[in-house]
Amino acid sequence: MLSIRNLHARVIEKPVLKGINLEIGTGEIHAIMGPNGSGKSTLASVLAGRDDYEVTDGEVIYMGQNLLDLEPEERAWAGMFLSFQYPVEIPGVKNIYLLKAAVNAIREHRGLPELKASEFLKLVREKLKVMQMDEAFLHRNVNEGFSGGEKKRNEILQMQLLEPTLALLDETDSGLDVDALRVVGEGINQMRSPERSVLLVTHYQRLLDIVKPDFVHVLAHGEIKLSGDHTLAEKLEREGYEGIEAA
Amino acid sequence: MSGFSEWLADVKDVRAPEALAVGLPTKRVESWKYVPIRGLARTTWQPASPQTTEQFALTGGQFVNVPKVDGCVVSENTVTASEQKRLDRMSQAHGFGLTQAALENTRLVLTIQKTASVVLNLHHLANQASSAGFATLVLRVEAGGQLTLVEQFESTDIESANLSSLRCLVALSRDSSVTHVRFQAANATAHVFSNLDVECSENASYRLQTIEFGSKLARNDIYIALVGREASASVNGLAITSGTQYHDTHLAIDHVVGETNSEMTFRNMVDGKGEATFNGRVLICKDSQRSATEQSIANLLLSESARVNPKPELEIYADDVTASHGCTVGSLNKTELFYLKSRGLSEADARAFLQYAFAEKIVEEIEHRDIRELVETQLLGELKHGELIVELKESVDV
Ligand SMILES: Nc1ncnc2c1ncn2[C@@H]1O[C@H](COP(=O)(O)OP(=O)(O)O)[C@@H](O)[C@H]1O
Ligand SMILES: [Mg+2]
Repeated sequence: MLSIRNLHARVIEKPVLKGINLEIGTGEIHAIMGPNGSGKSTLASVLAGRDDYEVTDGEVIYMGQNLLDLEPEERAWAGMFLSFQYPVEIPGVKNIYLLKAAVNAIREHRGLPELKASEFLKLVREKLKVMQMDEAFLHRNVNEGFSGGEKKRNEILQMQLLEPTLALLDETDSGLDVDALRVVGEGINQMRSPERSVLLVTHYQRLLDIVKPDFVHVLAHGEIKLSGDHTLAEKLEREGYEGIEAA
Repeated sequence: MSGFSEWLADVKDVRAPEALAVGLPTKRVESWKYVPIRGLARTTWQPASPQTTEQFALTGGQFVNVPKVDGCVVSENTVTASEQKRLDRMSQAHGFGLTQAALENTRLVLTIQKTASVVLNLHHLANQASSAGFATLVLRVEAGGQLTLVEQFESTDIESANLSSLRCLVALSRDSSVTHVRFQAANATAHVFSNLDVECSENASYRLQTIEFGSKLARNDIYIALVGREASASVNGLAITSGTQYHDTHLAIDHVVGETNSEMTFRNMVDGKGEATFNGRVLICKDSQRSATEQSIANLLLSESARVNPKPELEIYADDVTASHGCTVGSLNKTELFYLKSRGLSEADARAFLQYAFAEKIVEEIEHRDIRELVETQLLGELKHGELIVELKESVDV
């Protein structure tokens, strides 16, 4: 599904990604772990098309297309979704406007008919229930005044509605208490399917206890230093990143 | 000869010779430095004639169908010495003031009686091409009275320059309140002048919400004096300027006595070759202890050639005062755009969302549902690619 080859990227002249190679097959869940500042968010952002980052070398093939040639909205239309580490507040835009506009934009590109208001409301209520969110969140401005945990639930709510083919989840578990972590984790698990791949960026083992990854990679200094199965996450939890960073 | 010279030479008003001598304001006058007055100078202006309507309206410089409602009386057409003083100050204050005074067609004096609650809807009808109307409205709100004044502008197309000017004096007696909503969506060739002079006595509150999309040129001069303890003023404004429009608001609030409050929030959104000027000045006098003022000015530039001239000014002479102010100028936020696009919104829809959001912060403050909805509908009509939001509002708003 996704093939990242020798990806180099920099931000404001500073090289951050220094030759990333990664293959994500259809239906697989990959976790990326690594110390702060190692380039995890940069990788997720470059894949989603944020233009603060400059790709200096390498290529990314997503379902046969050259991903780096696509605009962010074209990537979304092609089934990609990024759950932001820091979801953006948009004062003045109601959450429900964004949700409905996004769902219908993506349906249009999948050749599906637009959802009518009543169909959309039915769907969104279902998903709110899964995420244990109150309906009042629909009529509040996008992420404005949401707590850290509410923002992350709202991201996963969007993922549930948009049904992406490839989900990039950037520290969706950070800032969550135990209960919220379970809700978010279950929200992700519910989306597991043989057709859908997930790239899970996380700091901690605890989300990976709920969402079992097929592969775990360790990113340090802009490179993947180590890859393994889910037992690698447990080892990291015990031993920390020091040994790997030195390698 | 052009501009107002012929007309001024014709009228008998004692101020006409001086107005004629002064002529139109020039860019050398600080407060007129950005105003493109060429359109005014090129037209040979004539008095506008009133049109027939059933609404309470200002047309051709005259008020027609003044409503007869309980608690609102039409007073004799003479002003008090202090009102005259305020009118004189208005005519001296800026370059166009003498012409406005000399060419004044009518004056309407309304008194809102003690503890009455009155709603007035004033419609500004478009004047014909090359014609201008000048009027003055005096509002006296007695103690405990409540007035809601809603001004709306007709947007019928007029082929060339037309002008309407309203000078408005508002006096709020103690414990009274005025909510003033001004929605200017005048025709694309209109020149709209509005001078507002408000005086708030003890515990009186004045709230102005002004939304401006229309006209070729608009100039607002707003002066508010807080002269009684516990008096308060709040001004919320939005100007949406595009094409070759010019919008200009000069707002000054004086805290004359202590324990007074003011708030000004103004937003400019400028596209195309539009230009917007906002000058917001707050003065806190020496005796105005324990007063508070909040000032927030935001400017959104949507094109390379759009221009804004924001100027916040805060002059404080008292020592026990709470003051906050902020002024920003920028284009649409890149991170917000990216977030929306990453959810599948097209560039055009994402931009429309953010423009709507910028304007909505002001519009959502309008308490009168009818007016708010009218403004929202027109706002969305103004936006490029506003259709998506229109459809969303219709489908999911409860
Ligand atoms: N917008 C930015 N401006 C400046 N530096 C940035 C920006 N984004 C990331 N960086 C820098 O790039 C490096 C990698 O950051 P990031 O990808 O956010 O790390 P991680 O998500 O692994 O914690 C860090 O040194 C960070 O300071
Ligand atoms: Mg990060």
